[in-house]
Amino acid sequence: MVEMLSISQLSFSYTDTENNSVMPMSFDLQAERGEILSLIGPSGSGKTSLLNLIAGFNQASDGKILLDDKEIQQFAPAQRPVSMLFQSHNLFPHLDVFTNIALGIRPSLKLSNEEQQAVGEALVTLGLEGFNKRKPGQLSGGQQQRVAIARALVRQHEILLLDEPFAALGPAMRTELIEVLKELVSRRKMIALMVSHQPTDALLASKRTAFIDNGGVTSIQETADLLNNRQRKEILNYLGPK
Amino acid sequence: MSRITQALIAVSCLLQFVNAYAGKQTLTIYTYDSFTSDWGPGPLVKKAFEEQCNCTLEFVGLEDGVALLSRLKLEAANTKADIVLGIDTNLTAEARATGLFEAHLISANNTTLPTVWNDQYFLPYDYGYFAFVYNKELLSNPPTSLKELVENADAPNILIQDPRTSTPGLGMLLWMKKVYGDDVSIAWKKLSKKIVTVSKGWSEAYGLFLKGEAPMVLSYTTSPAYHIIAEDDQRFAAASFVEGHYQQIEVAGLVASSKQKKLGREFLQFMMSEKFQSIIPTTNWMYPAALAPTKMPPAFKGLIKPSRSLLFDDSEIAANRKLWVNEWLEAMAE
Amino acid sequence: MHKPGKSAYPVLAILAFMVLAPMIALLTVPGTSFIESESLAFWKSAYLRRVLIFSLWQAFLSTVLSISLALIVARAFARHGKFPYRSFILKLFGLPLVVPAVVAVFGIVSVFGSGGWIPLGRSLYGLNGILLAHIFFNLPLAVRLLLPAWQSIPKQHWKLAQQLGLNSWQQWKYLEWPALRENLPGVGVLVFMLCLTSFAVVLTLGGGPKSTTLEVAIYQSLRFDFEPSQAVVLAVLQFSLCAIVAMFSFRLQKLPEVEITSSSLQCPVDLKTLALNSIILLVAVTYVAMPILAMLVDALNGPILQVLMNPKLWRSAAFSLIIGLSAAMLSVLAAWLILQSSSDLYYIKQKRKAGYLEMVGSIVYVVPPLVIGTGLFVLIAPRFNVFDWAIPIVILVNAMMGLPFAIRSLGPTMRQNKMRYQRLCESLNLKGWDRFKTIDWPPLRKPIGLAMALVTALAMGDLGVIALFGTPETTTLPLLLYHQLSAYLMSEAAVTAAFLLGFCLLVFWLLEGLIGGGGDA
Repeated sequence: MVEMLSISQLSFSYTDTENNSVMPMSFDLQAERGEILSLIGPSGSGKTSLLNLIAGFNQASDGKILLDDKEIQQFAPAQRPVSMLFQSHNLFPHLDVFTNIALGIRPSLKLSNEEQQAVGEALVTLGLEGFNKRKPGQLSGGQQQRVAIARALVRQHEILLLDEPFAALGPAMRTELIEVLKELVSRRKMIALMVSHQPTDALLASKRTAFIDNGGVTSIQETADLLNNRQRKEILNYLGPK
Repeated sequence: MSRITQALIAVSCLLQFVNAYAGKQTLTIYTYDSFTSDWGPGPLVKKAFEEQCNCTLEFVGLEDGVALLSRLKLEAANTKADIVLGIDTNLTAEARATGLFEAHLISANNTTLPTVWNDQYFLPYDYGYFAFVYNKELLSNPPTSLKELVENADAPNILIQDPRTSTPGLGMLLWMKKVYGDDVSIAWKKLSKKIVTVSKGWSEAYGLFLKGEAPMVLSYTTSPAYHIIAEDDQRFAAASFVEGHYQQIEVAGLVASSKQKKLGREFLQFMMSEKFQSIIPTTNWMYPAALAPTKMPPAFKGLIKPSRSLLFDDSEIAANRKLWVNEWLEAMAE
Repeated sequence: MHKPGKSAYPVLAILAFMVLAPMIALLTVPGTSFIESESLAFWKSAYLRRVLIFSLWQAFLSTVLSISLALIVARAFARHGKFPYRSFILKLFGLPLVVPAVVAVFGIVSVFGSGGWIPLGRSLYGLNGILLAHIFFNLPLAVRLLLPAWQSIPKQHWKLAQQLGLNSWQQWKYLEWPALRENLPGVGVLVFMLCLTSFAVVLTLGGGPKSTTLEVAIYQSLRFDFEPSQAVVLAVLQFSLCAIVAMFSFRLQKLPEVEITSSSLQCPVDLKTLALNSIILLVAVTYVAMPILAMLVDALNGPILQVLMNPKLWRSAAFSLIIGLSAAMLSVLAAWLILQSSSDLYYIKQKRKAGYLEMVGSIVYVVPPLVIGTGLFVLIAPRFNVFDWAIPIVILVNAMMGLPFAIRSLGPTMRQNKMRYQRLCESLNLKGWDRFKTIDWPPLRKPIGLAMALVTALAMGDLGVIALFGTPETTTLPLLLYHQLSAYLMSEAAVTAAFLLGFCLLVFWLLEGLIGGGGDA
């Protein structure tokens, strides 16, 4: 058994309702436990679609998603071992921090003592002690994303999908949160896929980075190598001349 | 849009101007709108009168007789009306009390009303009796008296109108009062078990009756004539009650502030003539107030003839109407 | 600091004038004064107390039922984006609003009357009938007005809900209810006002004078008893009751705490919910369609050609359309001006004040048109030729009556536009027409289309004020219909009613298509 996420020939037809065009996609990649694999590439290349396929928000027409050799595609989104973080709207604005996290364990909010403790611990881990009664509106952008990460943490799902989670944050905050994530992912042996538009984020977070273009993975390399790969035209176009 | 309004206004001004230029006078008659509608007597009356008067007849059609009276009260001496046509004997006392009417000075001795007419202010143009109309095929033995309808537990269900909002409703109220006098509250309580509903106006109740919601509806003795003449449908009849039927007489009067009293009187005279009177039966579906029985459409001859016509003195109605309506409300509230 | 616009105030001043001037005029008309002893007895009477209690009780029940059912139906609609004929059904849902009361009564009776498809017999007459009719009128309206709330739920929240495995109830609790809290009180108050002022339906289906609303008492005072001052006081009473209810519900309102995104719904649907939703929608559509269908059946049995060949029908239709469109334009303009100010106030977080502005604009609806019309008549008649004024007044009064619908339709989008684009527009110095054309108009198209359609339809189906003037040569479709009814022409009237419905459906379709740019709400 190989402990990894393995995606092969995962196919999907993306229909753009605005101009009625269809874009065929097919993905192949592998990610190991403890790794944050960065996904970069131009807008509309299929990064978010790939995450949606893994999370089960979209259904693939063909292909496999294997976690530790087990197919997860037959599961509904809630049954998949997946947590996803968006750039915004991760939290319900009318619920306080504690409730927002607790929802991750049990939507009915009927938590056992241990589960309540787990929420408390997650708050501590992410430096959010004392914030449990606050509403998201009373938190900074960075704190809001910490709450969202805390929720992912208590869910204890192995796959973490991050869709530009730090795009709205300042450099210091990004660095800080990426460090928090890295530590969590490696300690808990999770597998994380992170979509980002910042090469610096990829450099910081990931040993390896995948470049996605036109509905497929065009290359997976050491992050530094990929960012300096001047031979591939699409990478050059995306990153721009130095 | 305002342009359209302006255009409409411009056109109406122009028409008035043209009339004035042609030396034609305009006689304005306030009436109820079912009189002026395409199916009412209005268009025929207008045509017939304009042929003889070298004038223009203009109808203003309001909701009903009550709306007519309140419009008149609102406008008082500023009213544009020369003639008011369409209030009934339940309202004449109130109308007279406004002081807005002038004696008509026209002899009413050719009337064919069941009673003698001697009102100096108002002239009758038609009359009718309230009655319960039923479908002969569905109801073989209708009640023969108001008492039977009220007191017999097996009497059929009925639809009536609200006396606060409709003329027939008020007619029913007065009918009951005339028959039961001081005991009317008890009678209403008994009757209320048979009342399917009390509608806002005549149209609602009659429509519900035709849809089969109740075997009998409060309408007029003349209603079956419509079905016979216009639809060739013989199924409908009015139930004849031994106590007699409450009467409604519709009248017209000359407005005191009118600048065209001569023309107005000419119209009132015309109203009593055969030309006008013969229009009434098959357009207003009432008995004309001054037409020889031989000139009536044959279908009217088959209608029931009330043994007695019941009518309160109009001053008595004016004095007691509110009281009696409240009495009715209290009786029906339980 | 952003200064809130003042455009609402002239509009509200005009509204206040349109309400107060006629009332004051009526108070000056000689009649019994409301402080004389005879009149005092009326104010203390058990009758008035009964009328008050009944008005409120039936309006409350009707509102609660209509709104709860509308929530269920709207939810099924929102979650079943591909329900067949969805956009046609939503247009059908605009129709009950235009059905004149008497025709609706006939329709309801055709379905639930003793000879109907689902005979309820005599138990129809009473509260049952009133509720059935009010649900028929208000459920579809509420569905249309509530549906956009689902579109304001962020896409990410639906994904989260899926991922966290929220069940249907939890989705309702965490996603849908918070999104609805902005609209629900307003829609509730609108439905409450419609039921409170219901007249012919309540009287006729209510089974007797036990079912008397304040509106009946107002009519009675002004017409049968000719006591204008008593009518005015009753109207003020009705207005105050409504204002209290509106303020109360206003406290329940909660604006979304995040910037609203407009998203195409992506909520998870399994087979079981799909089936359940389909059943809910089928039942709702059947319920709304049945009385309309009954009207059509009556029409098909009527002299169709004869009615359609009557040039008066077409003249009336054209006239109704002109009145309807003009009233709708005025109404939408007034709503837009009021909302310009109120959304500015929301923007600078003066939510309460903003809410009051909108509320005042809306609740003029409960001042009976009969009172406004009669009062205006008193003002105008001594000075001008009333017939020249009849059309503008009819348009104006219909525009006032349409205002709550226009405010409801435009409000949420106007607020969103303000929240999202105000700063951007300020920085780009986008103002006036340029801003309206490029920024505000595109998202407003649909709500404006809906508002135009609703108010036009409402005005086209209205009988109220035009009958008051008795203007010669001007007949609207509902008036023509009443003329037919009072001339025993029930089957002709049925054809006219069906024509009115078809005509309104066409107008709905055109207005929502041309202005709203197709699609549904």
